[in-house]
Amino acid sequence: MAIEFGLNEEQEMLKTMARDFLANECPMSRVRELMEDETGFSADLWKKMAEVGWLGLVLPEEYGGAGMNFRDLTILLDEMGRQVFPSPFISTLLYVGMPILAFGTDEQKNDILPKICSGEAVCTMAALEDDGDWWADSIKVRADRRGDNYVINGTKLFVPDAKSADYMLIAARTKRTEDPEEGITLFLLDTREVWGMLATPLKTMDETRKLYEVTFMNVPIPEKNILGELHQGWPIMKYIELHTTAALCAEMVGAGERAFEMTVEYLKERVAFGVVIGSFQALQHRAADLAIGLEYSRSLMEWAAENIKEGHPDTATSVAMAKSFCGDTCKKVVAEGIQMHGGIGFTWDHDMHLYFKRVWVDDNAFGDSIYQRELVAKALDEIHQLSGYGRWRRMPGVTGAVGQGMM
Amino acid sequence: MVSEESERLQALRQEVRTWLRENLPEGWGTPAYVPPPRGTAEGQAAGKEWSKKLYDAGYTGFTVPKEYGGIERPREEQAVIREEMARTGTPPGAATLGYLAVAALMRYGTEEQKKRWIPKIMTNEECWCECFSEPNAGSDLANIQKTGVRDGDEWVVNGQSVWTSSSKFADWGIVPVRTDVNAPRHRNLSFFVFDCTTPGFSVKPLRQMTGDAEFSETFFDDVRIPHGNMIGAEGQGWYVAMTVLEAERGGGMRIGEAAAGITVTTLGGVDNFVELAKNTKRRDMVAWDDPLFRQRIAQFAIENEAIRASTQRMRVKAMKGQLTGHEQSITSTYRREKNQRQANMVAEMIGASIQYMRGDPRALDDGSWTYTFLRSRGNTIETGTTEINRGIIAERLLGLPRTRM
Ligand SMILES: Cc1cc2nc3c(=O)[nH]c(=O)nc-3n(C[C@H](O)[C@H](O)[C@H](O)COP(=O)(O)OP(=O)(O)OC[C@H]3O[C@@H](n4cnc5c(N)ncnc54)[C@H](O)[C@@H]3O)c2cc1C
Repeated sequence: MAIEFGLNEEQEMLKTMARDFLANECPMSRVRELMEDETGFSADLWKKMAEVGWLGLVLPEEYGGAGMNFRDLTILLDEMGRQVFPSPFISTLLYVGMPILAFGTDEQKNDILPKICSGEAVCTMAALEDDGDWWADSIKVRADRRGDNYVINGTKLFVPDAKSADYMLIAARTKRTEDPEEGITLFLLDTREVWGMLATPLKTMDETRKLYEVTFMNVPIPEKNILGELHQGWPIMKYIELHTTAALCAEMVGAGERAFEMTVEYLKERVAFGVVIGSFQALQHRAADLAIGLEYSRSLMEWAAENIKEGHPDTATSVAMAKSFCGDTCKKVVAEGIQMHGGIGFTWDHDMHLYFKRVWVDDNAFGDSIYQRELVAKALDEIHQLSGYGRWRRMPGVTGAVGQGMM
Repeated sequence: MVSEESERLQALRQEVRTWLRENLPEGWGTPAYVPPPRGTAEGQAAGKEWSKKLYDAGYTGFTVPKEYGGIERPREEQAVIREEMARTGTPPGAATLGYLAVAALMRYGTEEQKKRWIPKIMTNEECWCECFSEPNAGSDLANIQKTGVRDGDEWVVNGQSVWTSSSKFADWGIVPVRTDVNAPRHRNLSFFVFDCTTPGFSVKPLRQMTGDAEFSETFFDDVRIPHGNMIGAEGQGWYVAMTVLEAERGGGMRIGEAAAGITVTTLGGVDNFVELAKNTKRRDMVAWDDPLFRQRIAQFAIENEAIRASTQRMRVKAMKGQLTGHEQSITSTYRREKNQRQANMVAEMIGASIQYMRGDPRALDDGSWTYTFLRSRGNTIETGTTEINRGIIAERLLGLPRTRM
């Protein structure tokens, strides 16, 4: 079984179209304007994205989507990363659209998905709390049953695009058991007609992506708005985690590659000591290292995306591998990008810091490279058990025979 | 695009599997298997025999057309064969650098030269060495000092090479020689094939830090090489040599796993490190439970998959004609440094035990970790240092200007 990485004709077209669209509709000057804007959301731009079919890219045609696959989606995200594109695209499609398609009732699908495709519904998810880490135990916001409704109380943090969102998927605790993964329920809230919800902008580093604190005070949600089963929200969150993690890899690779291109261009044009700085070997070799890192980042990212598309059994591990590697590499790329630009790279007006911030934030989301590596280690443990590699081994003097006869 | 394997390929897979089961050395893949000692005549003979067997079965020799002794098979069949070989991790072939001669011959050789030398490289019946580096021409290869003076139908060559791998066993050698001492750099060399039994050619083994002598100093003392052995035109030797170096960075025509671009058989391919870490206890802590080692081992699993994925990506690009050839410097640098980092990790993990060499009864796995650790120091030097490769990436792939010296 061989996975082919090349883009087919349709994918090449998507890529070209995306690059042109972003260059025309959201050049860096527009990115800066949206950064300054309180919500960072442009209804006009969103409408255009709907028109070109991006908002429903991976949603089926029956809901008004384009019916494309996950690999296609990463092509788009890759291009968005290149442009540090500010938009609730991931929030809408990956946090809400795709999980509704996978786990929603017919009624939910018929209600929300067409609105996502047409651009009528901007969506987001409220999952993280105090510690900002994506894990079941941190979910403490409560949803208590009251008649036919649930009422939500508590505070969520790092909620993207909360002020522009029409719908919000909320991860709330409906039951406390020994197992923190049990007893989480996902609720879909229509934020346009709600009382008791307060979204306050957080002052955060990456201004191309607006984050909020969202407080719920006895916010009622009807039972029919539960996504999936009561208490069984965590597996859906794992689904969101898997897909968004891969999506962020694509975004990081796009951002990393663009930052690297800018850096190489600068190395060819900036003169010091009478020569262009790109002729200094100290910089050349570091640039070569970044090129190496980006080659492998892209390879892992595309492999993970193909695996998701194919439903390959190695998918989860390949996604963790990609996230870990892309995170490490792209963080290095943007840091070196600033260093190799000298003083100008440190200024607000230069775009490099936008890439720097985006990459660091993406690396952190859903677990940084260190965390992902631990996930890989756990997978290796399983592989090792299955492979039956173990054979009796003795290391006199240094080790005991710890795993004697282990299979 | 994952393709379902056709019945034909499945049958081939089965055939290769059966063949391997029947032909692999006794005890292969189990601790009972004892490899023939490295770098000895016995090991070389075993390697030759094994590569000939593979060739006769039609499982190697894919890199050249039939008329030069190659074996032509559809790409998918090659992939299946290589994958199956990778799965069992086949024994090494004979130590030979024949594939480097193939690169030179295919690009610059005459029809006669190709037919004369390539077939026996394909079968591995004849072994080759590469006499490029000299005491004062390593990274700066163009500084070669060996001289060649024309005498009738022959060239008389004098000078010395160093670090010449596999010369002990070589039947033939390739050597760039200064045939015009007055011509400028890069235009003063001509490239020859020579018979290692020619009088005046001598080999003095050089011991390396592993204790073995894989390479030698080689001396040319009035070595007479027929003019017909010149590859390419007179004065064109530098460019022929460059073709060889490109092939060398690509890793060449190795059998089995290396050729498949697949270095691993399970996801991550670090099962042996996991096993080692689980069995290694340092000051009461199992290494596999120590996040520092867990993280590093997981990182190597990630890097192995990265290499595997990148190899596939490059294969697709190559088919579309989108590669320049210099991408080899990326792969080459990364793989070699990874190998070295891996070896370092093992050394740090097993602690004092890394000191035991092969032959000490306390040596772990007969000293193979220690050997790998020491041998890996050469990885980042041989086939062009990683610094030189970084320079190629910077200049050729990124388009940065020539280095300011
Ligand atoms: C195990 C092994 C097997 C080998 N087998 C063969 C063989 O079969 N045939 C053969 O011909 N040769 C062989 N070699 C030789 C090998 O190709 C050379 O050692 C290598 O090219 C480096 O040359 P050098 O030893 O002269 O080092 P030098 O060129 O003197 O390099 C010394 C240091 O300076 C650095 N350096 C040099 N130039 C630059 C530059 N422009 N920019 C930055 N850094 C620079 C190098 O990277 C290195 O770190 C082998 C070497 C080893 C270790």
